[in-house]
Amino acid sequence: MPLPAGVAEALRRIVGRESVIDAPNDLRIFERDGSIEGALPDAVVLASSTDHVAAVMRVAAKHRIPVVPRGAGTGLSGGAVTIRGGIALQVTRMRHILEIDPVAQTALVEPGVVNQELSLVAAQHGLFYAPDPSSQKACTIGGNAAENSGGPHCLYYGVTTNHVLGMEVVLADGSVHWVSGDSPDRVGLDLCGVLVGSEGTLCAITKIKVKLLRIPTSVATLLAAFPSIDTASQAVSAVIGHGIVPAALEMMDRVTVGAVEAHYHAGYPTDAGAVLLVEVDGIQESTRELTAAISEILTANHGYALREAQTPAERELLWAGRKGAIGALGRIKPNYYLHDGVVPRSRLPQVLSAVGEIGEHYKLPVANVFHAGDGNLHPNILFDMRDHQVIHQVEGAGEEMLRAVVELGGALSGEHGIGLEKSAFMPWIYSEDDLDAMHRVKDVFDGDGILNPGKIFPDPSRKAVHLAGRTGLAIEARWW
Amino acid sequence: MVVKAPAVEKPATAEELARRLHDAAVSNLAVAPAGGGRARGMGDPLDRCDVLLHTTGLDRVIEHSQADMVVSVEAGITLEALQAELGKTGQFLPVDPFNSPGHTIGGLLATGWTGPLRLRYGSPRDFLIGIRVALPDGKLATGGGRVVKNVSGYDMMKLHYGALGSLGVIVAASFKVFPKPLQDETLSEAGGWAAGERALSTPLAPSALEVLSDGRVLARYAGSPAAVKRVRDELGWQRADPAVWDDHARRAPERWARIAAPRSELRKIVDALPDGAEWWASPGNGVAHWAISTDAQSVRDLRSRAEKAGGTLVILAAPDDFIREVGAWGAAPATIDIMRRLKKAFDPNGVLNPGRFVV
Repeated sequence: MPLPAGVAEALRRIVGRESVIDAPNDLRIFERDGSIEGALPDAVVLASSTDHVAAVMRVAAKHRIPVVPRGAGTGLSGGAVTIRGGIALQVTRMRHILEIDPVAQTALVEPGVVNQELSLVAAQHGLFYAPDPSSQKACTIGGNAAENSGGPHCLYYGVTTNHVLGMEVVLADGSVHWVSGDSPDRVGLDLCGVLVGSEGTLCAITKIKVKLLRIPTSVATLLAAFPSIDTASQAVSAVIGHGIVPAALEMMDRVTVGAVEAHYHAGYPTDAGAVLLVEVDGIQESTRELTAAISEILTANHGYALREAQTPAERELLWAGRKGAIGALGRIKPNYYLHDGVVPRSRLPQVLSAVGEIGEHYKLPVANVFHAGDGNLHPNILFDMRDHQVIHQVEGAGEEMLRAVVELGGALSGEHGIGLEKSAFMPWIYSEDDLDAMHRVKDVFDGDGILNPGKIFPDPSRKAVHLAGRTGLAIEARWW
Repeated sequence: MVVKAPAVEKPATAEELARRLHDAAVSNLAVAPAGGGRARGMGDPLDRCDVLLHTTGLDRVIEHSQADMVVSVEAGITLEALQAELGKTGQFLPVDPFNSPGHTIGGLLATGWTGPLRLRYGSPRDFLIGIRVALPDGKLATGGGRVVKNVSGYDMMKLHYGALGSLGVIVAASFKVFPKPLQDETLSEAGGWAAGERALSTPLAPSALEVLSDGRVLARYAGSPAAVKRVRDELGWQRADPAVWDDHARRAPERWARIAAPRSELRKIVDALPDGAEWWASPGNGVAHWAISTDAQSVRDLRSRAEKAGGTLVILAAPDDFIREVGAWGAAPATIDIMRRLKKAFDPNGVLNPGRFVV
């Protein structure tokens, strides 16, 4: 659906002629994010400032045109997909680190700043930004805040929302506001806390104030092999049950390890049923003690081939394998469909065996690489998009895996967001009343529904839930 | 003026509480939610109060999964009762609010009160993973869940945390809980702010660090025994009885205020307190508490100083007349209109805590 007459011109007047893209072929670049489904925007606007964002929003509000804020487009839940057309509001030109305050240990950044770049710059002051999504080389802080992204080190350090001190946001009417800031315990409702993780449905984010942490002086990274996913899961529970919360505790299954090792040659044991990557940080006294304790626990739980990274380079290689695992899976099949359910940690063995069975049932290879310490699984269903028939199988398998997650007391998404792909499943975990309360929030911020429409909330007109007959189960199993 | 004593309701289930709230709301009766009463002095005096709706009948631990390190409780349970339950498995909820004991979990969430341990663990805002709230229309709305990481839908925990019961009555909550540290030591030293700064910059960061108006500094270090020992050796401070924290948490002057500010500004504000004032500060958190012993004008002056520095000064308890004079909250936030719209969306007739909070 083309934009109403005059709108493209109005947008060009705001950001400049070159910064509005609406030629059909050029728009294709912005059709997708990291998920499966795509849809073309009617126009892409490359904003360079808060003023641009606010002015674009006012034009959109006047004509009730959908606006989807967009960073690097690495999201995995369809959050940046313009499913109802409209404007893709690209903020990657807003890429300045505006301020690093080494005393207060904070940074003020524009939304297009790349996650890893912030940590690289902060390192000059001995500081780092803790949330570290695996896409951190590309993903933006604005996108991280919109999705409340996680990452391996969030086990100890917490997810994005725990690190955002305040934000400048543009609301659907084009008004600009600061929410929260440097001071704790502010007066009034915690708007910042509500807006972080709202997936672009409540506001566009134009500046973010984040906490920085001191870089630990000592880091120890351990790799251990296990005969099976089950034994590795039990080892995870045992470590945490001993009162040790490592900085990161990651698991990879045999399929993943095979692909990673073939690509990175990091020395991952390819004969193992599962591999755990455990990291502790702090000062040397504590990392040494914790490493010894963890090694003992892992060994007592069938861990073997324990190896501690001896040099920073070796440590980085191990992490490169973990963070690049999904790319390495391209060796098996060209496409993947990555899910993001979370279960209570003790249910990991059950949910992973269900995931395995579902993969077998659909005859689809599944590779697991995930944040075991958090109970946050990431089954990757591997397929070839050129086989058009397989897509439905893939979606069906993904849906059944999420269903298994929910039936084990879990949640639909740990860090990727609900977006487009999981909105239909929201009634599995939330009642009508729960969703109604969330909708009230949506209506307060965006009564006309122009901000990222079609996300988070189920849209009955769009997609039938295949397992509709089974919905309600989770509600019955509610724990309150 | 004849003031009628409010009706007192103490429902035994969340459903009953929601029903009572709804009944009151349809009759346009003003409802004040009440927990342990430890923070009842917070906020402006109520415009009206027809029903005191106690949550203390809801005091169960719903589920504590030791392996998952997650606990779900009803809102009326006291912090101490919850800690006793968690302690059986070597776990705890890292909250140590002032005016203890007796806080209910619901009260802590509604008021956003914290204590020294916030330095290491953050506030409950950071480890609250699920919430259930009764709304004036009688609905029970849940947000979050019982997994430690969750981005399924809006973060409704943040909406109600610190909202002082202005949008709904919290009836249940789930938390990520923590293992008790292997070693937990408290060190003490005279030396005021400078000593506090020193303790904050040790290689192992303290889990709590308090500077008191008498110049004493209390520093708590937790972690592996070798790491804690290293800090103790480096600082060379005296070990203190850990019971000092219980005494500290009992602090609750008859008139007191909480000052919050960017960390780098806190000391300047506290330095401006009247001579001889009793106060205690968490410099690492940017929070201080002040036992008010002066007149309203000095409170206003100090608040203005705090607000200029980007901070706040909030009255935690004082006689009604005094609060009326200075106001409990200070300047309205710049986003007050959005907050009012949220209030209207959840409590359209304004029956919840009318006049007490900023919305």
